[in-house]
Amino acid sequence: MTTRKGAYETTASDTDFRKKYDLAKYAADAKEKEEKEREEKKARYEAKLAGKKYYAPLTGDEVLTQARASRLDVSSNVGKVVLMPAGAATGKRGRGAGFYCPDCDLTFKDNLQWVEHENSMQHLRAIGQTGEVKRATREEVHERIQRLWERMEEERRGDVKTLGERLEVRREEDEKERELRREKRRELAEKRKKVKEEEVKVKKEYGEDVRIEGEHDEDDMMASMGITGFGSSKK
Amino acid sequence: MANHRADEKRFLDERGSSGPLAPNGLNPATIMEKPVRERIIDSYFWKDQCFGVNEADIINRVVEHVHFIGGTYGDAQRPSPFLCLAFKLLQLGPSDEILEEYLGYGGEKFKYLRALACFYVRLTRQAKDVYRLLEGYLGDYRKLRRKGRMGTSLTYVDAFVDDLLVKERVCGTTLWKMPKREVLEDLDVLEPRVSPLGDIEDLLESEPEEVERENERGSDSERSRRGSPGSEFGEVTPDRDEMDIDREKTANGD
Repeated sequence: MTTRKGAYETTASDTDFRKKYDLAKYAADAKEKEEKEREEKKARYEAKLAGKKYYAPLTGDEVLTQARASRLDVSSNVGKVVLMPAGAATGKRGRGAGFYCPDCDLTFKDNLQWVEHENSMQHLRAIGQTGEVKRATREEVHERIQRLWERMEEERRGDVKTLGERLEVRREEDEKERELRREKRRELAEKRKKVKEEEVKVKKEYGEDVRIEGEHDEDDMMASMGITGFGSSKK
Repeated sequence: MANHRADEKRFLDERGSSGPLAPNGLNPATIMEKPVRERIIDSYFWKDQCFGVNEADIINRVVEHVHFIGGTYGDAQRPSPFLCLAFKLLQLGPSDEILEEYLGYGGEKFKYLRALACFYVRLTRQAKDVYRLLEGYLGDYRKLRRKGRMGTSLTYVDAFVDDLLVKERVCGTTLWKMPKREVLEDLDVLEPRVSPLGDIEDLLESEPEEVERENERGSDSERSRRGSPGSEFGEVTPDRDEMDIDREKTANGD
């Protein structure tokens, strides 16, 4: 009975609601951060001495750079109104009027500057790329040619001009559709046939000994009256 | 090395001091002339479409953007996409087997890809390889559009290849001086070329009428180098055989 418990049987003291400060951890974190900063400063200084530009060192999970898949689409913004904060940057730093790069927090005023920035090492490092491109093999080249050609053929098929060509395409499509329908019908018929055969088989399998009282009364009665079934004449 | 640099900075910085040379011993960074080179790397097309491109992506660019051959065009002397991509090829330095894909398999499908690869081969390969690789395409009669400072004109793949073999300056680039074919034949580096028209000696010895007939037959398999009159404007002069047939038909009809 030496444990001190309150009326609610908790061990909380009066000041437990206060934030707890792990002083040792904070000190370690701060030391680490300072060290890192000092190292970066040193690297910057050394790079400057060597006459080079400083880039953050590679972490090892950078990916290779790839060719741009799309061009800068300026025309999609035509007619749009964008609100700018009153304190929007007048220089490059921060968000302002123009092309904004969220990774580097910079704004560019024209497409040439923008594309130069996108190609710059600063930007590539910010988005975690190495600025290196994978060398393609012969197979990749071959496969690329094939894919491009197929795509072009596809487009060519879609883009027809004369009435004759259009009729030709329509006929091909119709033929394909008809073939599909025929296939479906055949499948359905097959399925129906199968079900029917199954039924017949089940009926034949019934022996006298498995006849359940009352279940086949109707059939028997109809048979005795000379009727074999409703609707269809074939059984 | 398994990777390329995405941009051209190191390629231009090395300038042959440490970078690899082309198979013909030239430095790929200086094959194009300095003003042209600078125009290329200043152009928007280069920065936008030639960044981070490898040997496979360059095919996409050719198919999408190259609609004419030429060096610099217009009053501003803008470098053509063709020239920009040729410069990119100089940077990438594709291997022989990839070039074969460009010329053969890809070239059958995309004529500008073949033209670009031919141009690159002429710039970087040894003379015997240039003759060996390019002469096969003297039988490719597809049309090409050529844009120069003076305007647009029509040419053909075979005419372009012939220019590459014969002329000194093509597409804003001075081609390196290649030994003549006869010299290489004398050195037993190359076999004598057999023209689709047949042996030139036979043609000269035979009777003029025969030559006429030979020429007619030849025109079926290969258009003569000059082409029929008006062919540079895209006109096709009907062969005499066809006209004869027409005449016979009308004669029968009458």
